[in-house]
Amino acid sequence: MSLATLGLIALAVYLVALVVIAEIARRARRDMTPGDHFLAGRELGVFVLFLTLYATAYSGNSLLGYPAEAYRRGFSWIMATGFMMSIIVVFHALVPKLRPLSVVHGFVTPGDYVQQRFGREPGGRALRIAVAGLMTVTLTNFLLAQLIAMGHVTYQATGGRIPYEVGVVGLAAMILFYEVRGGMRAVAWTDAAQGILMLVGLSALLLWLLGGSGGLGAMTRQILELRPEAVQVPGARECSNWLSTIALMGLASVVYPQAIQRIYAARSGTSLKQALAIMTFMPLATTAVVTLIGLAAIPRFSHLGSLEAETVMPRLLELWAAAGPFYTLAATLVFIGALAAIMSTADSVLLSLGSVVAEDLLGRSRLDPGTTRLGKRISFGLIVVMVVVALAPRITLWRLIELKMELLIQCVPAFLLALHWNRLRAWPTCWGLMAGTALAVAGVLLGLPRIGGIHVGVLGLAVNLVLAVAGSLWRRDRLELAPPFS
Amino acid sequence: MRRLLLGLIALLYAASIPWYRPTGAEPALILGLPDWVAIALACYAAVALLNAWAWLLTDVSDSGPSVEEDPP
Repeated sequence: MSLATLGLIALAVYLVALVVIAEIARRARRDMTPGDHFLAGRELGVFVLFLTLYATAYSGNSLLGYPAEAYRRGFSWIMATGFMMSIIVVFHALVPKLRPLSVVHGFVTPGDYVQQRFGREPGGRALRIAVAGLMTVTLTNFLLAQLIAMGHVTYQATGGRIPYEVGVVGLAAMILFYEVRGGMRAVAWTDAAQGILMLVGLSALLLWLLGGSGGLGAMTRQILELRPEAVQVPGARECSNWLSTIALMGLASVVYPQAIQRIYAARSGTSLKQALAIMTFMPLATTAVVTLIGLAAIPRFSHLGSLEAETVMPRLLELWAAAGPFYTLAATLVFIGALAAIMSTADSVLLSLGSVVAEDLLGRSRLDPGTTRLGKRISFGLIVVMVVVALAPRITLWRLIELKMELLIQCVPAFLLALHWNRLRAWPTCWGLMAGTALAVAGVLLGLPRIGGIHVGVLGLAVNLVLAVAGSLWRRDRLELAPPFS
Repeated sequence: MRRLLLGLIALLYAASIPWYRPTGAEPALILGLPDWVAIALACYAAVALLNAWAWLLTDVSDSGPSVEEDPP
């Protein structure tokens, strides 16, 4: 049986399984409150919590974007292992402070913390809207990246029998279906199965690739012959970029709304810290593996363009499938695992988007079941718009992630600094956020995404922090600053 | 102890970036990887161990806020 036929069958089985999980999750719900729908009733234990964190963090970007970036940049992309791990390190500054507050106050969205921390002072509402607005923009960007990845993988997994456009539209509709039916429970349970599939599949693929190359040493020597710059020690600019990327990804990722909502959704603080302790090893088992997979593609496909490099992973899986019937089956499972991982990230993003827009932007109550219904309608509207945009992609997956992070990192003072420094005030934080965002957007629009290897978003964060701290110190006894929107 | 572990993690991150090597130098291979890549990976493996240990030492309470609720 061909890879395309097996792919079609596996896809059908997988979609039926999703429908079943959505129905079981719907029956498990207790009520229609936002806490139950968006946070699974705050009852995620260590195992499911770990796997949902894993499947959410490792997504279409990890499976398609990272091998592609390793193919383009060479061995220096080992930095990805460091920056994915830095997320779990930076969580030390967030989780021990935020988790107890979330339990006491029953937070559902990231904006609930901003409201609790700054809500009683001038500028508190403006800051909550600014944070939610920035998160909404970055999440829609992230959703777009997942939709693009879904279309590519479906096309490749079915040998072109399901066109890119049909894959994007059909799978987006499926995500919407099970998210609306089962909420966070459906998302977390599908994540658990998807995480296992992804881990096993990637390891098997790497072993096959290394076996075919004659081992790591032979692969490195082949790359050295074809592209010496991919193996040689990187220059000062690339080293600065390495450090900047660790800062960018580590700081920005901890204020992902879906990451913050998993802090709220944990059954207990102990479950949460144990899940994070396990998560810290996953970059070695996943990011390092996909980096090596991208590098192993260099000797096999030596002249792919920048956008073509996005298809490195599907091309490798096709090669793997051609090696024999067993490998065809294994490649099919990895294809479906990849698709599942991409969908698991998209569903988490969509779920967060619905809650952030309904509660933080539109000001609906987290105790009102009507907020859940509104969140579902918002999810529907947003995914329709993003599907239309995804039908004509013009940018690489890694660039989409970077754009998202440059903006998201500007929310860091409103969480990390606010949790650790009581003097921080709302208006200066709001001003800082807008100045940092303006700098990041200007850099991107002017074609200056990095200055001396440092991401413009990281430079924006520096400006953001200076304004927030200086403004809070200067105005600590005079809270009536002019509103930045005037 | 937890602070010490986090400090060590910061040092390992600094050591993982090959600032210390001349640009464009052709590396020796360690376990089939360029030496600067092998060092980076070893640093990240050590970070994973220390970070997991630090998490197990961390108190994540469910009983109440660990920061003041009403900032001055």
